[in-house]
Amino acid sequence: MSRRPRASGYFRTGYAQDLKLVETRTERWSLSAFLMALLAFPFFASPFQLDLANQVFLASIGALALMLLTGYAGQISLGHAGLLAAGAFTAGILFKEMNAPVWVTLPAATIAGALLGVVFGLPSLRLRGLYLAVSTLALHFLVVYLGGEYEARRGFSTGIVIDAPKLGGWTISGGRTWYFILGAFAGATLLLCLNLLRSGTGRAWAAIHAKETVAEALGIGVAAHKLLAFVISSALTALAGALFAYYRGFVSVEAFSLFLTIQYVAMIIIGGMGSLLGAILGAVFVTLFPYAIEAAIGALPGAQRYAGSLFAVNYAAFGVVMILFLVLEPLGLVGVWKRIQTYFLLWPFKHRPMPGSRR
Amino acid sequence: MAELGVENLNLRFGGLTVLEGLSFAVEPGELFALIGPNGAGKTSAFNCISRIYKGEGRIRFRGQDISALSPRAVARLGIARTFQHVELFPHMSVLDNIMTGRHARLSTNPLQRMLFTPAVLREEAKHREAVERIIEFVELEGVRHAHAGALPFGIQKIVGLARALALEPSLLLLDEPSAGLTRDERDDLARFILRIKHDLKLPMIWIEHDMQMVADLADRVHVLNYGRTLASGVPGEVLSHPEVVAAYLGTAKLDARSA
Repeated sequence: MSRRPRASGYFRTGYAQDLKLVETRTERWSLSAFLMALLAFPFFASPFQLDLANQVFLASIGALALMLLTGYAGQISLGHAGLLAAGAFTAGILFKEMNAPVWVTLPAATIAGALLGVVFGLPSLRLRGLYLAVSTLALHFLVVYLGGEYEARRGFSTGIVIDAPKLGGWTISGGRTWYFILGAFAGATLLLCLNLLRSGTGRAWAAIHAKETVAEALGIGVAAHKLLAFVISSALTALAGALFAYYRGFVSVEAFSLFLTIQYVAMIIIGGMGSLLGAILGAVFVTLFPYAIEAAIGALPGAQRYAGSLFAVNYAAFGVVMILFLVLEPLGLVGVWKRIQTYFLLWPFKHRPMPGSRR
Repeated sequence: MAELGVENLNLRFGGLTVLEGLSFAVEPGELFALIGPNGAGKTSAFNCISRIYKGEGRIRFRGQDISALSPRAVARLGIARTFQHVELFPHMSVLDNIMTGRHARLSTNPLQRMLFTPAVLREEAKHREAVERIIEFVELEGVRHAHAGALPFGIQKIVGLARALALEPSLLLLDEPSAGLTRDERDDLARFILRIKHDLKLPMIWIEHDMQMVADLADRVHVLNYGRTLASGVPGEVLSHPEVVAAYLGTAKLDARSA
């Protein structure tokens, strides 16, 4: 996607400069300051805070993948938990059955995700909207059923325990190490999404999202691009699933319920549809939300008495927040952020000039 | 050899006959107007040519039979079209809309795009340059970064034209480009159509309801009514053909309008 020119001071001399991700000195400085803060964080954070950050990184990968598929290519999927399960189980089974090292299981999980993406995507060639959502939901149950069968048949009915992964002679363990690894994966996923979206693939997805017939008449391979969206999204999601399995050291079907799918859908809605920043903000919000509720209840006088209803309160509060966002802020957290930005950019004016008014 | 030859094209939706034995040939560089009352089958003929509808009959493009190709393959051969209701991608910028029109000319694969290799950067910059030439050609410089959906209808129509031109087509199908435009916008449109004809030497099939524009600009006119051909020939003869006048223009004479 091409970007608007700057208000002043920065002049572009070639079209390639329009495609840069980081352009001005201020952007470079603020990005490096942000990265420094991210790198410094684990040296000050408590183990609990590190665990939260790691969960956010994992959720970000999944949310970015879902955003590509739903927010950009316009294909609804309720199979996200199934795909996470597929990745986690691929890693778990390969580890248990063949004692495969991590540099085999992660690519294997990604490939398994890509193949499942083709299966999940095939209905999208014929079905749209809710019908597509239900067909992906069916596949979710299929994957989770197969995972459960494996656990039961092989006698791991409580779940599969996975050892800490080894690379060469180095064992990956500890919150701080995982922080850097998961952060690198999340960063790479973000970069990959940005690259796809600023090239022809991103435009083709947006075109299919808006008007399929027109996209086809313009020479865009609609079926191929839909499948591509499913394949890329599913591969990334399965990778996140495998990383989750290693991070937790444990795989069980109970972790991949339909509620997990809903949480991921909530991330992209609360964050803001059609924005990568939205996916990340949504991942942060949905991951931290239950802990925030827990902390809030803990701070109430006589907290002990409410401890039993914590779970229920969490669910209910999550539902309320979803409804509030859908009703009051359909553009999500990104909408709020954009509005704040616009306020300061336009100040002292209130509205942008009409498009084309300079014509 | 004709650029596009339509031979005995038939289209039916259930019991409804939309096109019956439609035949015409568009010569190189020709501005070929397709006119007729509402429901005559003009847009259906376009949809058959761009293969969105699967009609029976033969359509040849530069001698090649295209009547079994997919819409995508037809676009790749260089048949571009605009739409009656514009059909822009409303949330994309004008620039991205026009860039999307070039999709068939891109050659990098998704893996290269994921890594944004230098080849992708070069390709994007090259196509952006081509798109900028088109933006200049149809005078859209002022709105290139605006969201297409937020633009006035007249400008959206021109963006639709630019998106079709972005394919670097060998044949252009224009579906009522002047409908809903103000007088000034029509003047601009007429200028652009003539510019395409003289500078790019593109053959065009042009569906139009503005008879004055047709009479002034078209090289040949083909009249449809209820899916059948009423008349075909140079504008002067066709537009005064008694059957055409009766079916389409009503009983008033054409001269009455321009007087």
